Amino acid sequence: MLEARDIRVRYGPFEALRGVDLTARAGEVTAIVGPNGSGKSTLLGAITASLPHDGTVRLNGREVEGQKPWALAAQRAVLPQSSRLAFPFKVLEVVRLGLQSGTAGDRPEVPMQALARVGLAQYADRYFQDLSGGEAQRVMLARVLAQVWAPVEDGQPRWLLLDEPVASLDIAHQLQVMEIAREFARAGGGVVAVMHDLNLTALFADCVAVLSEGRLLAFGAPAEVMTDETLSLAYGCALRVSAPPPEGVPFILPHAALA
Amino acid sequence: MALIADSAAPPRDRLGRARALHGVLAGVLALCALASLQVGATDVTLTAMLGKLIGGEALSQMERVVLFDIRLPRLAMGVLVGAALAVSGAAMQGLFRNPLADPGIVGVGAGAGLGAILAIVLGALLPVWIINLVGNQLTPFAAFLGGWGSTILLYRVSTRHGRTSVATMLLAGIALGALAGALSGILVYIADDRQLRDLTFWGLGSLTGASWAKVFAAGPLIVLSIGAALVLGRGLNGLALGEATAAHIGIDVQRMKNVAILSVAGATGAAVAVSGGIGFVGIVVPHLLRLASGPDHRTLLLNSALLGASLLILADVIARVVIAPAELPIGIVTAVLGAPVFLWILLKRRGLVDL
Amino acid sequence: MKRCNDGFAKFAALWTAGFGVFFAMTVAAQQTAPNPHADVLSIGGAVTEIVVALDQQHRLRARDTTSTYPEAVTNLPDVGYMRALSPEGVLSVGPELILSGEGAGPPEALEVIRAADVRFVEVPDAFDADGILRKIEVVADALDVPERGAQLAAEVGAELEAAMQRAERADGEKKRVLFVISTQGGKINASGTGTAADALIRMAGGVNAVSDYHGYKQITDEAVGLAAPDVILMMDRGGDHGVADDELFDMPAIRMTPAAQSRAVVRMDGLLMLGFGPRTAEAVTRLNEALYGEGA
Repeated sequence: MLEARDIRVRYGPFEALRGVDLTARAGEVTAIVGPNGSGKSTLLGAITASLPHDGTVRLNGREVEGQKPWALAAQRAVLPQSSRLAFPFKVLEVVRLGLQSGTAGDRPEVPMQALARVGLAQYADRYFQDLSGGEAQRVMLARVLAQVWAPVEDGQPRWLLLDEPVASLDIAHQLQVMEIAREFARAGGGVVAVMHDLNLTALFADCVAVLSEGRLLAFGAPAEVMTDETLSLAYGCALRVSAPPPEGVPFILPHAALA
Repeated sequence: MALIADSAAPPRDRLGRARALHGVLAGVLALCALASLQVGATDVTLTAMLGKLIGGEALSQMERVVLFDIRLPRLAMGVLVGAALAVSGAAMQGLFRNPLADPGIVGVGAGAGLGAILAIVLGALLPVWIINLVGNQLTPFAAFLGGWGSTILLYRVSTRHGRTSVATMLLAGIALGALAGALSGILVYIADDRQLRDLTFWGLGSLTGASWAKVFAAGPLIVLSIGAALVLGRGLNGLALGEATAAHIGIDVQRMKNVAILSVAGATGAAVAVSGGIGFVGIVVPHLLRLASGPDHRTLLLNSALLGASLLILADVIARVVIAPAELPIGIVTAVLGAPVFLWILLKRRGLVDL
Repeated sequence: MKRCNDGFAKFAALWTAGFGVFFAMTVAAQQTAPNPHADVLSIGGAVTEIVVALDQQHRLRARDTTSTYPEAVTNLPDVGYMRALSPEGVLSVGPELILSGEGAGPPEALEVIRAADVRFVEVPDAFDADGILRKIEVVADALDVPERGAQLAAEVGAELEAAMQRAERADGEKKRVLFVISTQGGKINASGTGTAADALIRMAGGVNAVSDYHGYKQITDEAVGLAAPDVILMMDRGGDHGVADDELFDMPAIRMTPAAQSRAVVRMDGLLMLGFGPRTAEAVTRLNEALYGEGA
């Protein structure tokens, strides 16, 4: 269980989060959605303790505040929105950085398996900075996976905290990455993902938190939360759920690939 | 063709290569050390002396002085200074995530320079008891205080609420450098001819003034600082991913910054104090090693220490035989050797340098 | 990867070869075998001149960079600049006695040299006639030729006295002399009081145009104008004096001085002028003649 209570974050005079509660359960994919500037990434930043904030965050029943970085690293891995890397590391070496900080450090085969999981095993010996944006993003996912390789360990779930994990990916890899997240959750781990794509959210999330202007607007299963009314209010434009567009306009949804 | 073969082959392990390099570089260091004991302006050689010792002959006064009072302390100081500069360079590059960073960024150079100039130009104005206390070592002492002091000042300026901003440190470093430069300029103005020449020679760096006293004064601090820096490997690797991610993979970023900055200030401050300004070791050595065995700081730091020490001893051997019986300032030799290599790296491996 | 490594090897080889050539050339240039019967390392131009003037040049084994007169001593091995001596370099020329002007260093080097049982005699510096005689005495004593020393001191003392007497003139007639040590980058670096140049100017019957500060300093253009020197005194560094003079008198600072109007510049050898050794009488006479004309 990941519980955030009354999270408040200020950037100078601007209040980015005004008291948000969020509960994510292990075994589920929890998505955080909302318009630009609604505080999605700020909320994830507070949850991962990388932003100064008010309120409490409890991970697996223990308060995050005050825990040592390495203790937290053994319980949860964080995928940042963008990843620039200093120095010419190779792909496999990057994934190993994740392995060393988790609890699977004694299993040298894990990094290759993690790379294979994101479909980049053949890139192991390439330089990270020679990769395309999407490839780099998937390598970072492999690094994060290597850090929490076993979704459950010692009876405790591990957590994947993903900030826009599919932002720079093509549609096939978006599906691949969301599959990985869902599989991690099905195996007993917890996943919290900041999402932009409402279709993918609807397809993969078990639980959706809709943020708007620093507040939690709605929270629940996708079918309950993703309504015309809530989404239109959150995003500030008239949105209609499950209505096909007018005749003659092509539309491509990931749903077909999963059917 | 080569590229295709590479990608099809199983990934080669650079870490293994880097670990093997520890042994190789230790061997190189040992060879360089022997060379520095063997060669010098006099025709005293280590081999001849060992021969005498084995044969039960006594060493002449000259041989004893040259070996024990000149070459050995010089070797010890070369090892300490070379290792200190190279490790500090590698640590700073890791901390600032920039392969061109060097300890100068944290103000060590500017501060030490100001300290040295103060001592050279105004040293005579100090109360007699201070002069008696520090004796000949006023310049190194002042250089150390200046280098260490300016780093701590920068560090304090850039640390708010327990967090050190690397960007603030960089900018404040530039400001502090300009200020130190201006103060140095004022002192240069009042300096007389002889003091100016002393300043020039100090700036070029040299191991000429090596003595056991200096080795024992600077040695413990340098060894301690290098030791502290060597354990930063994993943290600096994590930092390559950025500060936030480094924290997410379990690194206590602030503590690492503390250790890195303090150890760099200690090692570089002491090194600069005893040897003056010696350039390029801190940048070239880590670069060469990253090219040879990758950027993994767990091995890079120790390898830098070994290669830095070897390089400096080698440069010193060259400095003292090229124009014997006079000698070149070692800073000239490291720059003459280092600058073209550095340019070559920039030209050849632009892709790996631009980040 | 492979190609790059090959390239690096090639580069490294080329670089090593290049450095080797430089190295060999420098070493070749330095190949001057020490005289086997000699035992003295002389440090400081004036000290070396005194050794030679005492007819003891056969005892010179090596010299420092500033010892350039007489010409013959430049063939001796050079142990470098006196403030940055290398202890092993000094020991390698095998001196039994080191004669050094004031200010040799670094201190650590001197300590080691003393530890090797080499006698080290410091010759005191002073910018006046008595100081020169004292130098001669110290050097002669150290070389164990006190009679020759007394003789030389008497000669030099008489010459100096004669030269200074000839140069002496009434205050109102004295020319104002500006000693310029460098004009680097258009900035005038000139001698104030307390320097060898200041002393020589006075001994040669002139007045130092600048007396506001001690030692050598860069001075502003306006201060040069205010100093109003009648003559500019400089070190002779060789080269085309015509061009150098044109440049000198074209500098804004100099242009407004009386010296520029009469294009009065005197160039003398630095060691002769500032060494305060046995040739100082000659320097006094030459400067005096340059200032006031021959036989003046």
